[in-house]
Amino acid sequence: MKIWLLSDYDHRKHLAFKSLLARFSAAFPDANVEFSVKSRRSLWESLFGHLRDPKRNPLADVIEIPQNWTELLSRLGLVADLSPRVEPLAHKRFPEFILKELCRNDEARAFSAPWWLEAPALFYRPQALKSAVEDPEKELATWDGFRAALDRLGAPSRRRGAHALSVPGSSGSVSVADVLPRVWGRRGGLFSDDFNRATFTREETAGGIEDWLELAVSGKIELFSPDRFENGPRPAEECACIISSRKLGGRSGLKMLPYPGYPSGGGLMLVHNLSVSASSQDPDGAAAFVAWALEHRNLSLFTESFGVFPCLKPVFEERLREERESGVYKRLFSAPELKPNIMVYPTAELLLERALWNLSMKIARKDYDREDLTRELIMAQGEADYLLSLY
Amino acid sequence: MSKQAKENYAAAAAGAFFEGRDAFLRAALESVSAQFALDAVSFYEYEEKTGLLRLKHRHSSGVSFEHEEDLRPAPGSAAARAMETLEPAVSKGPGGSYLCSPFRFDYCDPAGGRGVIPCFGLFRLERAPRKRGFTPSEAAKADAWLKSFLRDYYKAEFFSLNRKYDKNVAAITELTEVFATALRVRDSFKHILSGIQTYFGFDRVRLYLIDEKNRKLKGELSADIRGQIKSISYEEIPLEAGAHRFADIVLGRSSGAFMERYKDCVLYMPLSVQGVTIGLLIVDNLLSQQRIEPQELAMLKSFGGQIALAVDNARLFDKVEELSLYDELTKLPLRRYFNQRFQEEFYRAERFKQPLALIWADIDYFKEVNDTYGHQIGDKVLKEAGRVILSNLRKIDFPCRYGGDEILILLPQATGMEAQRLAQRLSQELTELRIPVPFSKTRELRVTMSIGISTFPQDASTMDSLLEKADDALYWVKSHGRARIALYSDVAEERKKAETNAGGTDVPAK
Repeated sequence: MKIWLLSDYDHRKHLAFKSLLARFSAAFPDANVEFSVKSRRSLWESLFGHLRDPKRNPLADVIEIPQNWTELLSRLGLVADLSPRVEPLAHKRFPEFILKELCRNDEARAFSAPWWLEAPALFYRPQALKSAVEDPEKELATWDGFRAALDRLGAPSRRRGAHALSVPGSSGSVSVADVLPRVWGRRGGLFSDDFNRATFTREETAGGIEDWLELAVSGKIELFSPDRFENGPRPAEECACIISSRKLGGRSGLKMLPYPGYPSGGGLMLVHNLSVSASSQDPDGAAAFVAWALEHRNLSLFTESFGVFPCLKPVFEERLREERESGVYKRLFSAPELKPNIMVYPTAELLLERALWNLSMKIARKDYDREDLTRELIMAQGEADYLLSLY
Repeated sequence: MSKQAKENYAAAAAGAFFEGRDAFLRAALESVSAQFALDAVSFYEYEEKTGLLRLKHRHSSGVSFEHEEDLRPAPGSAAARAMETLEPAVSKGPGGSYLCSPFRFDYCDPAGGRGVIPCFGLFRLERAPRKRGFTPSEAAKADAWLKSFLRDYYKAEFFSLNRKYDKNVAAITELTEVFATALRVRDSFKHILSGIQTYFGFDRVRLYLIDEKNRKLKGELSADIRGQIKSISYEEIPLEAGAHRFADIVLGRSSGAFMERYKDCVLYMPLSVQGVTIGLLIVDNLLSQQRIEPQELAMLKSFGGQIALAVDNARLFDKVEELSLYDELTKLPLRRYFNQRFQEEFYRAERFKQPLALIWADIDYFKEVNDTYGHQIGDKVLKEAGRVILSNLRKIDFPCRYGGDEILILLPQATGMEAQRLAQRLSQELTELRIPVPFSKTRELRVTMSIGISTFPQDASTMDSLLEKADDALYWVKSHGRARIALYSDVAEERKKAETNAGGTDVPAK
């Protein structure tokens, strides 16, 4: 059995999965399991490569996917219905907000099983903010407050402890993953409520993207940072604030707050699922692995290893109870919002990703103008609208 | 290099030629990591246009993984030096010790392209801060080791391009055949679109044809990435400048900046035959947003003429077929076509145990109409009868001009009662018709129809018998005054009664 795991900036995830597989192999010595870690782009290419030439480009039996790819992959016939084979799915043992989005169009079937989720949040070092922020909980609750605090913290320098903001999940350029929490925070989105048209240029959406780009324009975050290449990921001790969707609390004296701009609680959740390829030669074995990975202990150990939340309801609730920052997480999960699981959404993200890449290049070359954002968003929105008319 | 590591690498390299570049890279990273006691090793490609190093693969703590990260080397850094001089460069920092081993080679496009394909990048070997750094001799050794690997990488890349080239050659041969056979097969458009999808595998292929008469661009068929083909006949675009970008393309107008954005994943190919544009073929990778390879675009474009010719021939073929299968006067299918459909519908009815009704209609005194008013008026009567019939049928019903003034209508999933209701409607509408007759005292002509109906399985269990029973019912109507409708079951019942009354000695008249 082959498994494709999505690549993660946090290497702990890969190691956690390796341990999970070691336990699986110990429990089922006859099972021959191997895994490879694929980047999102490479996974996307492999999926479409399979559609184009299934013989030359076979899929793995089990594939980790972002939850909001499920509708697209099921409509393309790439993934199998898991509800009859995976007991927690059959009994809907997942938080309601996850199931609602997963089974948006078809309550009876589920083409992937929710596995783990993460929620972007703000971590800060009280010591580093001492001179700039009097009441972090209050001042960092809004985007404007957060932004003003960054200004007061000063420009980044190479001196230890002087970096105002770090975004460990960044891929170098500004990406969709970076901007979406802020877009959601402004109550924006990529599509209208009825999903009939794209809304990239809507004030709230464009404003959310602009807020994040402004951090790059003003040098609060470094794009294509050579520092990361030369020295590796920046240690948490060197940063006053960190935006991360992984739990960092307890390390380096960091404290946690919800993502700035969600004063009433709630926030964007990113859910990752396990799916079984519709062309798998051993669908029962693959589904059995998914069911095993969702067992209480396995899921708990795996998710704990890299600071994310499990999707299975009892494990999720248990983790929330035990969490040191449970107050903050309860606020985050009080009004969780998920990316829509609709057919065109993954492609819309790619369109936006391309627009953000072009803008990142302009910012890095110090050639960026607000007009560039408007033009890129109009173009991307036009393409997304066209896609909506086709699919 | 130790003998064992060499063996590992050789085995990995040999296998990788069959599993692709990614597997090859993965094996090489694992191997170099083990050979030089590394904590991590990464493979970056360098993009000269943007000056970015783009992380592709990484091996760390015993796990290999693909990852994406775009970074710009700082001026004067080890990486920048390595990229400039193409010599290995070492550095040490708080994160550990690093060795940058750069590579660059250009190779010819095996597909015959004029340019060269560059391959430029570096490997970054890492050791944790507490471990020893890279000595100059170790750096040289690692660099030489990686260079030897790169020679194989070059081969892997070359073989991969060569495979693509082979695929293209095969596609050229087979597509030529596909387009040629499109002339001879039913559903020719479907055949052409399937052929394109089989060899190119686009997200979607769409075919639009120009309807000159109505100045429209009309959708024909669309084939998706799974090979599923569906009609897009609901799409109609006015062929006017500015009405739609497809219309602009067909009319040869500028496509604008928006279209420029699409050019990597969409190809709009106007189809022309002898200088006349007959349609538009659109292929796209919009859903996957994957770039259509320039070679693929070039090849498809080179097929443009052949595709246009095949489409045009298919259209002519359909036209010829239409002429041979349909009666030009009544626009009803002819007997040959009816026989084929009758067989299909009968089998379907038998298999799914569904009713099937057959109407046999005859225009009353049609011979007299022809003899009295001439064939032109007779033709008018037939034409009107055809119009009335076609405008009253369901999509699944199948009419036919069986010969002369005889018309058959096949009604799948219809009972005798339902067929009778339809027959009454037809008969009513026909009776209400007034055919103008110039040069005649009557000025206008009225016609009526005699109709016989039989049903499966009630009246007959075979095709021949179903026809025979409908004819029987029609004969009964004709022999009982015409302008009526008779169900075979009623006729049979009546005959039975007549037989009983007559003592069972009379032979039923036919």
